Amino acid sequence: MTVGTDIGLTVNVSGLRVGYGRRVVLDGLDLALTPGVHGLLGPNGAGKTTLIRVLATVARPERGRVRLLDGDVTDRAALRRIRRRLGYLPQDFGFYPRFTVREFVEYFAWLRELPRAEVPLAVDRALDRVGLLDRADDRMKHLSGGMLRRAGIAQAIVNDPRLLLLDEPTAGLDPEQRVEFRALLRELGVDACVLVSTHLVEDVGTACSRVSLLDGGRLAFTGTTEELVAAGVDGGSGDSPIERGYTAVLRGARAERP
Amino acid sequence: MSGPDDLTTDGRPARLAVTGPLRVELRRGTAPATALVMFGAGVWMLAAHPEDWGGRWSGLASYLRVSMLVLCALMVAAGAWQAGRERRRRMAEMLDSTPRPAWQPLVVAWLAVSLAGTAGLLLAFAGAAVLVGRVATYAGGGWWWTIVVGLLGLWAATAFGVLIGRTVPLRVAAPIAGLFTYVGLAIPGYLEGSGWNWLSPLHDNLLAGLRLPEGLHLLQAGWFVALTGTLLALAARMRMAALVCGVLAVAVAVPLGTGPGRHRLPAEPGAAEPVCTTTGPEVCVARMNAFLLDEVAPITQPVLLRLTGIPGAPTRAADEFTQRADAAPGRVVDPADSPRWLRDGTLWLSLDGQPTAFGTGLARPDWLRSQFSQLVYPRCDYQRGDPDQRIYRTTSVADDWLFGSEAPPEGAVPLPDDIQARSLARLHALPVDRQRVWFGAYLAAASRCDVPRLIGLWEELW
Repeated sequence: MTVGTDIGLTVNVSGLRVGYGRRVVLDGLDLALTPGVHGLLGPNGAGKTTLIRVLATVARPERGRVRLLDGDVTDRAALRRIRRRLGYLPQDFGFYPRFTVREFVEYFAWLRELPRAEVPLAVDRALDRVGLLDRADDRMKHLSGGMLRRAGIAQAIVNDPRLLLLDEPTAGLDPEQRVEFRALLRELGVDACVLVSTHLVEDVGTACSRVSLLDGGRLAFTGTTEELVAAGVDGGSGDSPIERGYTAVLRGARAERP
Repeated sequence: MSGPDDLTTDGRPARLAVTGPLRVELRRGTAPATALVMFGAGVWMLAAHPEDWGGRWSGLASYLRVSMLVLCALMVAAGAWQAGRERRRRMAEMLDSTPRPAWQPLVVAWLAVSLAGTAGLLLAFAGAAVLVGRVATYAGGGWWWTIVVGLLGLWAATAFGVLIGRTVPLRVAAPIAGLFTYVGLAIPGYLEGSGWNWLSPLHDNLLAGLRLPEGLHLLQAGWFVALTGTLLALAARMRMAALVCGVLAVAVAVPLGTGPGRHRLPAEPGAAEPVCTTTGPEVCVARMNAFLLDEVAPITQPVLLRLTGIPGAPTRAADEFTQRADAAPGRVVDPADSPRWLRDGTLWLSLDGQPTAFGTGLARPDWLRSQFSQLVYPRCDYQRGDPDQRIYRTTSVADDWLFGSEAPPEGAVPLPDDIQARSLARLHALPVDRQRVWFGAYLAAASRCDVPRLIGLWEELW
């Protein structure tokens, strides 16, 4: 699928190829995303994290075109503008243990070049959204795994990004926190394009309006959540309709592959 | 000029505005530990050799540069540890996705460590400065330049550490880099007298009281600033900036390296100006050592009094540094060509190593006495074999007499084997005039290395 126009698109990827050495991870990938919450599904090694890293502008494509927020990532001037409107939480994200939660998020507000006067309000808002305002003055090293993940999300949303990339954001969250997090995703997705890479299919079913499914470095499916559910009506295995859709699409994609 | 990439999302210029992150780095980064370590190292260095800085501003400034051997190594390690934090904490991925140019957080981190290390060090030296300020007798000479340039050297060391921390992906990079810096800074000590030594932040403490031209300070400052810029630009992978700063650094380094070395520096005239006693035999010290006069005089004046009227004996004692006050403008004095200890009736004393931390007393009064003892040592060059033991004993008796060692109490019977004590007792038993004649004859014989006469003088007491 080749996307011919950028109008209304937050992410427009065409012919993307990325590899590590001789191993090709993404090959000929086309993807177009608009504002809303998008789920990125796929088995281990499908290339989800690599795609997220390319979109986060930390990995370089070997081939293909990547346009984000109306800018080409290969254009240095555009890249800085893109990054100002980008939020990113890697799967295995680090933190400075001696920083307080507020300092950590403030530091990223500075890195994301927020105007100085806006930083205090933006930080409070981000912490409030992830439910960490009451722990704002705790050291990062004193937070539980779930709280750390929420602090990571706070740094990613402190600049009110137009494109938010979250790689396995619900790992470590307890069920209640996951419910709250899905609500946050829906709220963020009203204005921004949120791409959530996850193994938890039910998260996608409840929080995402659209789903993309990667397999073997290629796009196996893209469409609405309902379309994915529908794909599993006549086959597939799983405990929920969306899981059945997921497995059915994967089997179909693998069957079509030479 | 700002381009579109210098504007924030709301169209306003993206200001550097480092105070927020700098404050956080100062509180939470490597900075607090650096400040503590530098304070401890500063106190330790100061406590190790108070005689090198006590009572003298220029000595304190100079000692800061001596301490650079340890302090720069610590700052390199601190800079490397701070710069390696992003890798250790797995932050690189998140940082790479942010718009702020990589050099800015890098500079903030470097600045935080540099400021903290400087603060810790200055706090330690401020304590010493209070002690110096209580007794110092000479404050001129632009000694503060030495401190400022030294601190710039320290900041360059931190930048070197940052480069190492960014380049070498190992935790042990920080301690190893510190160790290598320690060894590397010691090497210029072997380039004695070379102008290339000025490229090192490390100096020796012999700079106290010397006049370092402002131009030299400025060149050194320029060198360290350009070097810092080069190292930080390399760490931030800004090749063009590194090239420009590197060219600047070389442009400054060449005149520094090919210029005069430390040994060609003149003394600070005000520091070397003599300050003398007004009563008793004259004892003079350099103005920068004037706080020691009340300590030196009670030791030297009794000896000078004892020598009064003895032919060939000194009539006054003076700090050898005062000789440099007579240096003609522009004339350079080579400290390696140290003054003869006895000339023109003056015994030239070295007061190096004599100050104490509190400026009271002398660190080594025995050294001062030993400089007087030089008077009685025979000027003999024993090429082969041992000298006659009688000469040793004569010398020992003369030395004891010079310092007024008491003769054994009247009536006391010296031990039969205490030959020397008996000889001293016999000398003391002579009338005072005869004692002085004996000592004058001894000095004359010792200065000529007249062995038969020295033995004869011994036998006169036997």
